[in-house]
Amino acid sequence: MIFLKFDRRIFHYFDWVLLSFVLVICAMGVLNIYSTGFSAAEGQIPLYLKQIQWIVLGLIFMMIIFFIDYRVIVQYAYIIYGVLIALLILVHIIGYAAHGSQRWLGGGFFAFQPSELMKVVIIITLAHYFDNHKSNESYKLKELLVPLLIVLVPFVLILKQPDLGTALMLIVIFVSIVFFMGVDKKSLLAALISGLILIPTGWHFLKDYQRERLITFLDPENDPLGAGYHIIQSMIAIGSGEIFGKGFLSGSQTQLKFLPEQQTDFVFSVFAEEWGFAGGLVLIILFMVIILWGLKIALQARDLLGTITAFGVTAFISWEVFINIGMVLGILPVVGIPLPFFSYGGSAMLSLMVAIGLLINVSARRFILQR
Amino acid sequence: MASESKKWLKFKIVTILTVFLVLFIALISRAFQLQVLSGQKLKTLATRQHTSVLQLQPERGVIYDRNGEKLAVSIMANSVCADPSKIADPVKTSRQIAEILNLDNQTVLKKLSTQKNFSWLVRRISPEQAALVESAEIEGIFLVKEPKRFYPNGELAAHLLGFVGLDANGLEGLESKYDESLKGKPEKLSWARDAKGKKLFLRVEKNETRKDENINLVLTIDNRIQYLVETHLREAVLDKGAKGGLAIVMDPKTGEILAMANQLGFNPNNVDGLKPDRWRNHAIADYYDPGSTFKPFLVAGALEEKIVKESDRFFCENGNYKVANRVIHEANRKRHGTLTVQEILKYSSNIGSAKIAQKMGKEKFYNYIQNFGFGSKTGIDLPGESAGALRPVKNWVPVDTAMIAFGQGVSVTAIQLISAVSAIANNGVLMKPYVVRGIADKDNHLVKLYTPTVVRKVISPDTARRLTGMLTEVVGAEDGTGKNAKIVNVSVAGKTGTSQKFDSARGVYSSEKVRTSFMGFFPAENPQVAILVILDEPQKDKWGGVASAPVFKKIAEQILNCFKTNIRETPVFEKEKTDKVQLVSAQQTLTPPNIAEYDESTMPDFSGLTIREALKKAKAESIELKISGNGWAVRQYPPAHTPLGDERLCSVAFELNN
Repeated sequence: MIFLKFDRRIFHYFDWVLLSFVLVICAMGVLNIYSTGFSAAEGQIPLYLKQIQWIVLGLIFMMIIFFIDYRVIVQYAYIIYGVLIALLILVHIIGYAAHGSQRWLGGGFFAFQPSELMKVVIIITLAHYFDNHKSNESYKLKELLVPLLIVLVPFVLILKQPDLGTALMLIVIFVSIVFFMGVDKKSLLAALISGLILIPTGWHFLKDYQRERLITFLDPENDPLGAGYHIIQSMIAIGSGEIFGKGFLSGSQTQLKFLPEQQTDFVFSVFAEEWGFAGGLVLIILFMVIILWGLKIALQARDLLGTITAFGVTAFISWEVFINIGMVLGILPVVGIPLPFFSYGGSAMLSLMVAIGLLINVSARRFILQR
Repeated sequence: MASESKKWLKFKIVTILTVFLVLFIALISRAFQLQVLSGQKLKTLATRQHTSVLQLQPERGVIYDRNGEKLAVSIMANSVCADPSKIADPVKTSRQIAEILNLDNQTVLKKLSTQKNFSWLVRRISPEQAALVESAEIEGIFLVKEPKRFYPNGELAAHLLGFVGLDANGLEGLESKYDESLKGKPEKLSWARDAKGKKLFLRVEKNETRKDENINLVLTIDNRIQYLVETHLREAVLDKGAKGGLAIVMDPKTGEILAMANQLGFNPNNVDGLKPDRWRNHAIADYYDPGSTFKPFLVAGALEEKIVKESDRFFCENGNYKVANRVIHEANRKRHGTLTVQEILKYSSNIGSAKIAQKMGKEKFYNYIQNFGFGSKTGIDLPGESAGALRPVKNWVPVDTAMIAFGQGVSVTAIQLISAVSAIANNGVLMKPYVVRGIADKDNHLVKLYTPTVVRKVISPDTARRLTGMLTEVVGAEDGTGKNAKIVNVSVAGKTGTSQKFDSARGVYSSEKVRTSFMGFFPAENPQVAILVILDEPQKDKWGGVASAPVFKKIAEQILNCFKTNIRETPVFEKEKTDKVQLVSAQQTLTPPNIAEYDESTMPDFSGLTIREALKKAKAESIELKISGNGWAVRQYPPAHTPLGDERLCSVAFELNN
């Protein structure tokens, strides 16, 4: 009886608005991927169909996550984190490589990037930590050492794959949550100084292609046919879309494959070429609604754990949207971060759906009394 | 949660929201900058990146004479081009192509090694070569159809027609004047290429050809008259050892040019290596002192103004007439006493003419010169017309009036001269000369017909008639200067002229270098044809009456023989199906660029014949056969009904089955 009653109530508070916006963006993404594959070779399963499969699978995962109270999930956060770390290590041992980077486990349809899921796991892990170490004061550097360690282990593992974008994303999530929790001013200063020292060291650690990308970002015209090619082509594609775009399936830069990585990192360029500034504006506004909604959930959450979780997920999605669109527009370096719900990619879609599952989990349980 | 910390949380959330809002507005601004502010520029960049456009000319319009005879036709010929981006091994490909087309290996290699994705290799090759290229099936090498201009009559009316250049643009003559119309709208061949330059979608944007586009011209020229004029002119130039010559035949009542010929001629099918002077249409572009042919216009004005009558007498000073500080002589140092106005024309007296002009006064004389059309362009529909040189009357000194009276010190073009004499023939009404009679659409439906244009009435019909009478005496009288133009049973009105060329080296008029001319019209009672003949620097017979008048006579006689009936009633331009035009032209062999004669016979159809039968048939047409296989003929090259070129060779394949 209790279970049934409980069940009804979470359905009553189920966040249909959020899910609707997410699904609208997913649907636009599928159409956009359809366009990129329009003039591609036949024979394989078209990518847009695969993307639909991933969305459906993601929705199932999302519902599973939704049904389990987030506090229960977060209790297992360290264990889940541990499993993910193990998987990341496994990637280095038995994973396979593509595009010069060893990121995947398994093969075929079951190819999976643990690093994508790590973005979500890091959120609940940090949420768990900060929930356990509540403080009314700002956090001092000493108190932040453990969370820093929690992030640095997967960061290094992912950076070694190498996958700069995902690795940086972990840092971005970490910094966002830490700032949200509040940092002691002295500690912040110390962190900034050590960061400045770390940058040249980090430069030393970067792979050649990563350095190249950073140089290219600073001066894309430097090498228009080489490293700058991506970003110049992206800007040409977007710009040539003008106000109302060239029309669905009619983006010349997309269809003639001048635009690189058009199903993954540069999906927004495809969309902006074919639907113009108007289309791009609509998409950005849709994302802004999701962000607004996510922050509302964080604000209304029943407890601190819910707030941190909801904020973490929202920050994660927001930064990915901003960095991805920023890089295809040429205002941020190309670091290989997909556009949430829009870029093709199974692991990313599943991780994002899990993240949305956490959001609606927090949202639905905001009125449910504690045990 | 405590309400205070709730407030703090709310503050933090709003702060974060603001941060993201700012970031996203930055994104939108950037998108606005790229897509709205510099969208146009980036779009151009995109278009340039993925397309290249090649304009292909459609078949050029046909030029017909007034009877529907083809003077200029178009043949679609194959040109070889390359897409170097598709060629994997330029060295091998260039060797292959150079061998097939007999080209220099290095030149081809250079063309194939460019970064461009389009390059012409050879323009307008023969069908045989095209077949070889096609069968070779080389990746990145392809054929494009281009029109090639062909003038079936060779030199005929070449100066009038002009010619076209490599890209099928009209460069001279009517080809240039009516280039846009004849050319039609070009087809756009856009090449969309992908980033790797690999896939190549060929998209031909065919322009819908509207009825009034790509038009055919119908000229006022009669190719029969043109032919005989050219023949006699050429003969005379050779006979008199002249540098060149020109002749114009005009219908005085309409202004239609029936023939316009220049010597030396040229073949518009092949203008390589010719100097521009060779294709210059001297009949409209050159001006010179008209000499005695100018006198009738003086007399016309004097008669019209009632300053003189035919019988008025002028003392011709026995050949020495001092005007200001110059002494005027008669031609050939003749000495005339007292002459009537009629005799002044008949004997072509310079002194008599000068006296008439003096009596008339320079202002009136000048008005008539202008009214006859001298000093301004006639407006003929040909490019490069000159206006001649007529000094304003206020600059004339007394000796000018006297000298211009006999055609020195004024410069006119041949087309001005024939138009002016035609005005006398046309009851004193000056007509605008023209060469394009009508414009026909692709299916040869006449879309525009040019009608005769009156410029102005210069003299009264009565004056015209009286002047015609005097000019008839010039030719008809036994002692007339133009007696060599006399035709039995036909009264011819005309005037001779000999003008000394100005020798710029010595600064005087040369008596050695002259232009002899004869202008006239017939029949005098109802003039139908006006003819002007000019010979440039004849080495013998340096007098218009001796050098040019006989040419006039020969042309006139032949025109009279050809056109017993009224000349203006030429056959109505007959509609001709364009496919008929194409049948002749489309498969015409192009190897010899200067085909002098137009061979109408075509390749017989050998299909189904035995070897023996085929050989017999080929022998009848004096065609050499290349036989392969045995049995019955199944294939042949060139195909049946292909017009025969110089090479009368046909490959026929025989097979045994059936």
